[in-house]
Amino acid sequence: MTKLDKPNVTLFHCINSIDEKLTKSYIHKRNINVKLISLPCSSLVKDVYLLRAFEAGADAVAVLVCPENQCRHLQGSIRARKRVERTKKILEEIGLDQERLSVINVSITDQLAVSKILQEIVAGLSDLGPIRVAA
Amino acid sequence: MIVGEQKPVREIIDTIIRYKKLLILGCGTCVKTCFVGGEDEVAALASALRLALKQEDRKIEIEEQTVERQCENEFIQEAANAVARNEAVLSLACGAGVQALAKRFGDTPVLPGVNTTFIGIQQKPGLFTEECQGCGNCVLAVFGGICPITRCSKKLLNGPCGGSQKGRCEINPETECAWQLIIDRLTLLGQHKNLRAYIPPKNWQPSISGGPRKYIREDHII
Ligand code: SF4
Ligand code: SF4
Repeated sequence: MTKLDKPNVTLFHCINSIDEKLTKSYIHKRNINVKLISLPCSSLVKDVYLLRAFEAGADAVAVLVCPENQCRHLQGSIRARKRVERTKKILEEIGLDQERLSVINVSITDQLAVSKILQEIVAGLSDLGPIRVAA
Repeated sequence: MIVGEQKPVREIIDTIIRYKKLLILGCGTCVKTCFVGGEDEVAALASALRLALKQEDRKIEIEEQTVERQCENEFIQEAANAVARNEAVLSLACGAGVQALAKRFGDTPVLPGVNTTFIGIQQKPGLFTEECQGCGNCVLAVFGGICPITRCSKKLLNGPCGGSQKGRCEINPETECAWQLIIDRLTLLGQHKNLRAYIPPKNWQPSISGGPRKYIREDHII
């Protein structure tokens, strides 16, 4: 089985943005290796965590944040978006496609959100292929 | 504090290309505060370099360390073992830190990972502005605590020029007119008579134009 038959995806998420239990049950049924990393607020995400997720073998990384006007910590999702944008520039500089990293607003009430997001990520990866990381 | 910016990763890769074992050494003081050279930035750069070199099928071992201050020998000393284990050091300190390392570790290549830009302050998180050019003879007392040498685009000591508009500089409207600020502050302090005084041409000898400077404290030298 080649690596992309079962892509590695790391999802950083704010604990307020998705239903973790529901998400895990969904992931269980899919042919994807998903690492879920929950944060008390998405603003805690930063360049080094995102880069290390790629180093650890993620083919794609996404940060799931609350809608901008629904962040419990007011500007958390805005901060997260800015951190992701900065990290995208680093990816570009080092020769990795920016498309491998995304920041997505999700509402906890949208139960299908994560499933849709994963479908899109997997579709995008079919063009990009697997990432090359240390053996 | 000293403010700098990290060099582009591509440029850094070109400078480290010949080394297989690299120490990235951060500084926990000024450059940490401006988000270019503290522990977090050392870790992020190490990760970015490993990923970048992997894309090119090149191997590198990167060690990470951050000392409290790279411009002081006592703190640099803490990195001696790590320096000895590696072929080169990529410093994320200011130019003073890089040179202090080069002096301390004479036989190890020390490379700059930061472009040192200015002496400044953090106005608000993420915004750093230049405030002092180290002219060697501070005249802030006359100008209400606002430096015309640094903050007036034309370095006018007898300003303002005729181009100030609505408190903005004519050279760059994104910059506040230093002379507007000086007038406002002197007025607030009741010191506007300072504005009537003619300030003679500045003696630049104590500044960098007189060559590299030294500061000697005889009572601390044995
Ligand atoms: S090495 Fe440079 S950045 Fe670090 S404390 Fe000294 S002056 Fe500041
Ligand atoms: S007058 Fe000279 S020393 Fe004082 S703030 Fe301006 S540049 Fe710095």
